[in-house]
Amino acid sequence: MNKQILTVLVFFTSVAIHSQKTYEKSSFDKIKERLNVGFESNSQWYLNDDAFDESPEGERLRANSYLRIDYQISERFSSGFQLESYMPEPLLNYSKLFDKEIGLGTFYLNYRTKKLDITLGYYYAQFGSGLILRAWEDRALGANNALRGGKIVYDPTNYLRLTALYGKQRKGFEVSDSNIFGFETQFDIADALQIERLNTFQLGLSYVGKQETYTSEMTNPQATIKVPEMVNAFGAQLDLEYKNIYTNFEYIYKSENARLNNFIPNIVSFSEKALFDGNAITWNIGYSQKGFGIGSTFRRLENMRFFSERSALNLNNNPTSQMSLNYVPALTKQHDYTLANIYLYQSQPGLVIENYEFPLVKSGEIGESLDLFYNIKKGTLFGGKYGTKLSLNWSYWANLKSDYTDPSGTPYFVGDDLTYETKLLNFDNKLYSEINAELRKKWTPKLKSIFTYINFSYNQGFLESKGADSFVNAWIGIAESTYKFQGGKSVRLELQHLSTNDDARNWAGGTIEYFFNSKLGVYLNDSYNYEDSKNTENTKIHFFNLGGSYTKGSTRIGINYGRQRGGLLCVGGVCRPVSKNTGVTLNFVSTF
Amino acid sequence: MISLLSIKKNIMKKFIYLLVLSLNFTLFAQGQLPNTTLKTLLGANTTLTEITANNDLIVVSLWATWCVPCKNELDAVAEVYDDWVAETGVKYYAVSIDDSRTAKRVRPMVNGKGWEFEILLDENSDLKRAFGVSTVPYTIIIKSGEIVYKHTGYTPGYEDELYEKIVALKG
Repeated sequence: MNKQILTVLVFFTSVAIHSQKTYEKSSFDKIKERLNVGFESNSQWYLNDDAFDESPEGERLRANSYLRIDYQISERFSSGFQLESYMPEPLLNYSKLFDKEIGLGTFYLNYRTKKLDITLGYYYAQFGSGLILRAWEDRALGANNALRGGKIVYDPTNYLRLTALYGKQRKGFEVSDSNIFGFETQFDIADALQIERLNTFQLGLSYVGKQETYTSEMTNPQATIKVPEMVNAFGAQLDLEYKNIYTNFEYIYKSENARLNNFIPNIVSFSEKALFDGNAITWNIGYSQKGFGIGSTFRRLENMRFFSERSALNLNNNPTSQMSLNYVPALTKQHDYTLANIYLYQSQPGLVIENYEFPLVKSGEIGESLDLFYNIKKGTLFGGKYGTKLSLNWSYWANLKSDYTDPSGTPYFVGDDLTYETKLLNFDNKLYSEINAELRKKWTPKLKSIFTYINFSYNQGFLESKGADSFVNAWIGIAESTYKFQGGKSVRLELQHLSTNDDARNWAGGTIEYFFNSKLGVYLNDSYNYEDSKNTENTKIHFFNLGGSYTKGSTRIGINYGRQRGGLLCVGGVCRPVSKNTGVTLNFVSTF
Repeated sequence: MISLLSIKKNIMKKFIYLLVLSLNFTLFAQGQLPNTTLKTLLGANTTLTEITANNDLIVVSLWATWCVPCKNELDAVAEVYDDWVAETGVKYYAVSIDDSRTAKRVRPMVNGKGWEFEILLDENSDLKRAFGVSTVPYTIIIKSGEIVYKHTGYTPGYEDELYEKIVALKG
């Protein structure tokens, strides 16, 4: 057993004993009340499958497990830790950084009063909308980029919040080789100046700095710039709400840093001839009243990948984006249906310069997303007896238009002094667009339906790095209905179809799900690419899942046997690649 | 071969240890309210402790704009919410765990759908983490400042079961 873990366990036992002494009566109950425990285990048994050419590599039975314990020591002190186990190896496609049988993932000690909140150890944090800093955890993605150090949140008045932090970022079971400094102030102007006409008027200012040493790999004196050890990012955010209208504006500037040389995909090296800074702009505006809501989001990202280690910029070596300091998800609508997750837009925040015979510059993305929600009233023609809920989404994303200059004309790395300029507002280089409509309808107290229509255009050439622009234009229709029987029994049927003449052409899919009661349910689903096309990778293979789940209170056990399509697994707009696989998965989640 | 066997044994031992450890905690664990900061739709900070100080009986449901079962649950509750409040005085808090990708969708969606219960934001999943929750929807009933009931997932008709629990707790 790991020494660290032992230390933590001993600490907690002593805490428990200590509390027993303090509270003589029903000490056992006192501990019970103060303890929060969460356990999650996801395991998979990978099987050979004749439908695939390759059989799974390495260990066949793999599991990722997490045990998180939080304890309220006293009114002001709390503490906790998370044990993680990846036995005998992490599930396929998880970062190799997590290749450890069992280890202490995070731990912390927190002191909190009404005005002060101090954390030592590992902590999570977000400044603004996360464009400048977001430390978070997502187990399905294998992302945990908590910071280890100290964080102080101080509220001197009820309209001012100051946050200061220092730390090193988590990198698997280690920490990355850099120092992170952060400061944020949130000022509630409406509250401070007693502006009663405005519902919200807030200003946020933030700073994040990363200090990381750099050793020049160049042996010749051609380097003309010094790669900075310090990267500083500054952010400002304004939130405003008046009556039914709200708006929010955020700007981030990230100081100059070296860029990757992409001369050999898996080798990390940096250009020492030119430096590049980055920036981000987001603007939201919306209006809503009962039964109607509309919201618009504009965002422009230029060179906004921000990692705690420079080398993490090489995504060939870092496909799961470990060590990211900020959060730059795709802002397209997040889909829950399988066929809608085949052609997924992924955000393009980074700077990629490839200078071979013809220079290629990707410097970021720009785009817009619009949402509309409308509740058609009961008793009207389209509302029917129970009303109809309508939601619409439109989005459009483009690559930033960039013009490069290459003074020396020297390609490759050593003498490469290529730089670029971008237009502020240019939407010409289309990457993705989507129109999405969802209609929810209740027919009778027992029968409900959801109809979804999606029409999208996906620049496969660019987004999957297959060369020149080439689009997959497709539409998807989905209909699902749920019928409730007596005693919590219900059945759900869902049919999907993706229609396109591009890429692998049409797909059909469907799900049937039956709940015996609110605790026990079973399902079967299938996706099938039924047409002949140039892309035969998935043609005429049933990607099916057969499974069930049992839930009791806050404990859930799920079992699934199925075949997964290779592609992207995305949570909250952040994705990790997954390879095709067939197997049995077992998920167990419980909180106590 | 022997070394391989002993490695496997070792792994099993550790796994069993982890399982026993977690089961151990099952026997005596029961949640106290976490002090996590949540945001209201107007941007003000609050905590569950503050909320429960003014309300004896509340339901907290973690949800997200992209989660279909969550929206099914909230749509179902929205239809009967008036009755629930009138009969039991319960207050329902739907805490969105949407992060910055989708958080801007919360307000137009809530209004567009005409949901009348309270909405709170947990943008960096602090409350979700404090509860040890890994999937949404996740529903909690808090009575007199203590968590008395937890449930994960939503199945059609579950809202009736939840209401029975609320009535029983109202006593």
